[in-house]
Amino acid sequence: MKRTTRLTAALAAVTLAGLLSAGLGAGNREPDASDFRALPPAPASALQISRSQRLSSGRYLSRWTVVRAATAAHARPSASSRVVAELAASAPEGTPNLLTFLQARGGADGAVWVEVRLPVLPNGSVGWVQRRSLGPYSTVDTHLVVDRAQLRATLYRAGQGVFSAPVGIGTAAWPTPAGEFAVRSELSRYASPFYGPISFGTTARSAVLTDWPDGGFVGIHGTDEPWLLPGRVSHGCIRLRNRDILRLEALLPIGTPLTIR
Amino acid sequence: MDGVRNVDELLAAVDRDDAVAEARAQAETTSRQGLLGLTLAGAGAFVLTRVGGAAAAGVSATDVNILNYALTLEYLQASFYTEAERSGALAGKTAQAARVVGATERAHVAAFLKLLGSKAVKRPTFDFQGTTEQQRAFLKTAVALEDLAVAAYKGQAPKLQSNAVLVAAVGIHSVEARHAAWMRALFGVTPAVNAFDQPASRASVGRIVASTQFIVDKPRMRARNKPKFTG
Amino acid sequence: MRPTIPAIEECEGSIHGPFSRRALLGTGAVAAAAGVPLVGRLFRLGDALGAPSKAQDAKILQLVLQLEYTQVAFYQEALKHAGLEGELRDFARATLAHERQHLAAVKSALGANAGAKPTFNFGQRTKSARAFTRSAIELEDIAVAGYNGQAANLTKATLASAAEIVSVEARHAAWVRAIAGQVAAPDPVDKPLTAKQVSAGLQAFGVST
Repeated sequence: MKRTTRLTAALAAVTLAGLLSAGLGAGNREPDASDFRALPPAPASALQISRSQRLSSGRYLSRWTVVRAATAAHARPSASSRVVAELAASAPEGTPNLLTFLQARGGADGAVWVEVRLPVLPNGSVGWVQRRSLGPYSTVDTHLVVDRAQLRATLYRAGQGVFSAPVGIGTAAWPTPAGEFAVRSELSRYASPFYGPISFGTTARSAVLTDWPDGGFVGIHGTDEPWLLPGRVSHGCIRLRNRDILRLEALLPIGTPLTIR
Repeated sequence: MDGVRNVDELLAAVDRDDAVAEARAQAETTSRQGLLGLTLAGAGAFVLTRVGGAAAAGVSATDVNILNYALTLEYLQASFYTEAERSGALAGKTAQAARVVGATERAHVAAFLKLLGSKAVKRPTFDFQGTTEQQRAFLKTAVALEDLAVAAYKGQAPKLQSNAVLVAAVGIHSVEARHAAWMRALFGVTPAVNAFDQPASRASVGRIVASTQFIVDKPRMRARNKPKFTG
Repeated sequence: MRPTIPAIEECEGSIHGPFSRRALLGTGAVAAAAGVPLVGRLFRLGDALGAPSKAQDAKILQLVLQLEYTQVAFYQEALKHAGLEGELRDFARATLAHERQHLAAVKSALGANAGAKPTFNFGQRTKSARAFTRSAIELEDIAVAGYNGQAANLTKATLASAAEIVSVEARHAAWVRAIAGQVAAPDPVDKPLTAKQVSAGLQAFGVST
């Protein structure tokens, strides 16, 4: 205890001496160059900041968004133009209603309007939606291509093929439609071996099963009849062997554009 | 010695750490976790950050917490400029500024991620609601975000425990001030209003960011329902 | 006891700045560096010269004083002789007003012990718009790097005050670059300069103490 008191007093003396020698309370004093030498250099930064990074080319990028609040899609970026479709906030699967972004433009009202692909018939429909009705943008660099002649699904990432598998598609009576669509949801943990372990919802719709409950949307799913693949076997859905769809699941982000040729 | 006029001189490596690659890592991002360490009332409330476990690379838990707060602001800025650049809505000097400043903010994010490692908060989901898609709205928002970043770094610098982190923070703080001045000049307002820039507390920064409603929940695109497809 | 920083007055010409004189001068009692126990400080007596302290703050502010004196003199002279017009003149006027406030704040913090005003020989730097522009960029960049270089050497209270100034210097630097048609913020991070380097930089700029 006594030792601490002596140390404290010694420290106080050092501090006061320091203040005095710095000239504080001792009248005018020119700054001494030696003062500056005594100041330590800054320690190394904890952050290593590399040279600034420019963006990669947008060549393989596709952007998607969701409906934030139920809204109308118009033929042109104007609320007074013809309504092409009404868009609900949710898809029949219960997930947010996904829309592929095509372009954005200032509308007649000065606000931003966005042209999107619409999950409505006829397949390939597009329309303009007010930006404020949409949610956040997401970006993917993947592209899923289903070739109906080859009976093959191929996934590209930044232009490179990273997955390929045989598929089952719709029969002649219930064909899988051609066109540009998107993978919009992933369903799992349901108890139905018919669909396999994983299903993906798409924005493609059967052009013939127009009375199908919940819109007649085409899905991508597994199967309990893998021996039928490859083949024209379904009501329009794209079927993969279960082991293939599990492989695909690890590589396929939601929102990936889907081309069915 | 002439100053830098050519943007291409500055921008080197192609960005490999942008949101596309992060999304590919399939990290589950939630907008409610660890953002700014604040509790706010109402929709979009944030929960208090929990800093657990050993600090990254010898950085104290307090500093990790502050670094994650800074990282969140850097994510916000980087995502904002990236989206604006990709939107194609910007032209001329504004487009050039967005490229350069965006590249810097992306480099900041990368540096923070490298330092924080597994302690880094995930990138939130951002909805910029058209501010990246119109030039005037972009500039107005950029001014606000950069001024905010300056004030935020300024508010935290004296709280840092590590000198190495402090050196990093002040080196970024002054760059954000240059950004702020640049965006102000482009927007047509004075780049430096006052002789002294004020700090902003973490609470007030949190309030301002919350008021933009830029940070949103990530849309949940996965569900457990039975499919309703044509089959 | 942690010193408080008084509120900033916004009107031009105010003699009150962000620095608290009491923060620097203390009351003669042992000034504990925030959060560092006395025993810890004792063991670091060997490098006590580098540890933040009020005395060290004062040393640093003497250097900052020279910086601000230089900036005021530079802009004053340039406005007289460089033939500045339009945006460049607006920039110089606004910046001069800011630097005057910075100078007043630092002077006030040092009180009677503030070092004398240096003498200046800016040469051609203040004689043409082009030279002025190049020199303004150089000087503001030195200021930013100088402040940043001392961040770890300052007590937290003085750091907070210095931070209010350095970002304004950075704004100045970007502003004049933008006017000159240059990329306003070319680097992703601002690197620090040592006090010695700042001093040398000022000397090379035409400053004699």
